[in-house]
Amino acid sequence: MSIEIRNINKQFGSFTALKDINLKISTGELVALLGPSGSGKTTLLRIIAGLEVANQGCILFNGEDATSRNVQQRHVGFVFQHYALFRHMTVSENIAFGLKVRPRHTRPSAKEIQAKVQQLLDLIKLEGLANRYPTQLSGGQRQRVALARALAVEPQVLLLDEPFGALDAKVRKELRRWLRRLHDELHVTSVFVTHDQEEALDVADRIVILNDGQIEQMGTPEEVYEHPKSSFVYDFLGNVNLFHGRIHQGRVSIGSIELDVPEYADAVDKQAVSYVRPYNIEIEREAQGQEFIPARILFIRSVGPIVHLELKREDTGDLVEAELSKERYQALQLKAGENVFVKPKDLKIFIHEDYCI
Amino acid sequence: MPLRPLEIKKYSILPGFGLTMGFTLMYMGFLVVLPLSTVFIQTAGIDWTQFWNIVAAPRLVASYKLSFGAAFIAALINTIFGLLVAWVLVRYSFPGKRVIDGLIDLPFALPTAVAGITLTTLYAPHGWLGKYFTFLALKAAFTPLGVVIALTFIGLPFVVRMVQPVLETLDQEREEAAASLGADRLQTFTKVIFPELLPALLAGFALAFARALGEYGSVVFISGNMPMRTEITPLLIMTKLEQFDYAGANAIASVMLIVSFMLLLLVNILQWWSINRHTDH
Repeated sequence: MSIEIRNINKQFGSFTALKDINLKISTGELVALLGPSGSGKTTLLRIIAGLEVANQGCILFNGEDATSRNVQQRHVGFVFQHYALFRHMTVSENIAFGLKVRPRHTRPSAKEIQAKVQQLLDLIKLEGLANRYPTQLSGGQRQRVALARALAVEPQVLLLDEPFGALDAKVRKELRRWLRRLHDELHVTSVFVTHDQEEALDVADRIVILNDGQIEQMGTPEEVYEHPKSSFVYDFLGNVNLFHGRIHQGRVSIGSIELDVPEYADAVDKQAVSYVRPYNIEIEREAQGQEFIPARILFIRSVGPIVHLELKREDTGDLVEAELSKERYQALQLKAGENVFVKPKDLKIFIHEDYCI
Repeated sequence: MPLRPLEIKKYSILPGFGLTMGFTLMYMGFLVVLPLSTVFIQTAGIDWTQFWNIVAAPRLVASYKLSFGAAFIAALINTIFGLLVAWVLVRYSFPGKRVIDGLIDLPFALPTAVAGITLTTLYAPHGWLGKYFTFLALKAAFTPLGVVIALTFIGLPFVVRMVQPVLETLDQEREEAAASLGADRLQTFTKVIFPELLPALLAGFALAFARALGEYGSVVFISGNMPMRTEITPLLIMTKLEQFDYAGANAIASVMLIVSFMLLLLVNILQWWSINRHTDH
């Protein structure tokens, strides 16, 4: 089922949670709503589910206006961050709940319900735990039960509110891969909310980045990661180094260095912020050109194939984070406290009057 | 087999287990066990035949029926309406909410005789409320119905105060989950909320029931104390005491004590079951 969101506005008292949101989600898509806390992503999800009512705008399911339908009529599967399992019911009772509460004429027979529960237990790989109570399960198991419970009613849309937020890192990674595989099998239109960019980049077909109740950018993980439209998106999608500078007629000056930026040829003496990912910081022992900035190594973390360095620029005193491959690191034989030269590559420059960190 | 030291106390940064435990035992001994045991000691002064003649007298059997029956009905009424009051106080906000919340405790604080007098005035055949009962060809004051009214009045706070904190901690996400799975409002309440409240409701019921069983002050005014009809058991204990029949009074008291103890035990077992049935295995 496709979902269309048109001009959704939502206020909580004087606080504007969502401003004029327009979004189309096509059938079978897995979309991530990504944003920092307070960006309105959960509110948007709850409005899609019918758990919250928008002040303005409408929601269309399959092209039909569903704005006035309540949560029971929308037939969506909703998965909560803290599972919201029924504590006094066993795993199988939890899963069967949505089928058992149906009115008599649409309710499947006890046998059919049992079969459905069994099928879902197989799907979530908890066959042996059918008679356990939620308190006897681990967090990851509980979330899988919550998912099975939502899937039991065969919803046409699956909505997940920070589904892995309460789990530890390893389980979270396992479970999100599992969710991706599950989605590929079932092809149910899914929307999930997360504040974890890695999770969104890893799982989603499309990412919608929200900030301050507005959509900053949407697109495939590659699009938003490689071509961020705003400094916010660039900053939010990974570690970055900030270089403050001034931009004038296609040249940006950052501390002691100057670089060409042809895309801002007509800018006249503007404040600019340049972003560089840590893996785009080149390190040399000797300056090889005027684009190199002198810096001192403060700290080295050399666990794993990538070596993380923290450096302090000699010219401005700003901190710079860099990542090197193990080979490069060993070739350079770097040590903490040494003076080196760094060169930022592949800068993303945004002119921003109102943006500051 | 090596002997393992009995481990009762755990390491704590606040010591004092021995002192506090000793005090607790002494306190409970002097305040609860000792007075209650005298009931049985005093009763032991008479033999079984005498005991039976006292406690199975028709007038007493009638009073047991009224005392236990009215206390049970009153506790039941309080369980239903106490839940409603607690629900309103927790789920909604409205002007005057704090006042109502404070009023709940009034039956606790009020001297029971005051409650008795006011209720009797209200429900007497010509009282403000009593005249409507008369209109319906019913009598409230000086009938078992009056006893139920008085016991309902004094038992109200127990259920409300037991259910309120549980309702407050109840996670609304579960209700939302139930609704998203297609459950209607009644199903959400009966299948999701009610089972969570059951232990607190049972505890509130038990307390209201126990309080109603022992109630004396507010009932003796409204009941009219007619033998075989509106006499409650505590009143008969008083009557025996006034006649200096200590053995008789203690015999009745021991019956009350044993029955209420068993009833409380039953409710506690029910409560324990309702809490633990979804965790034990």
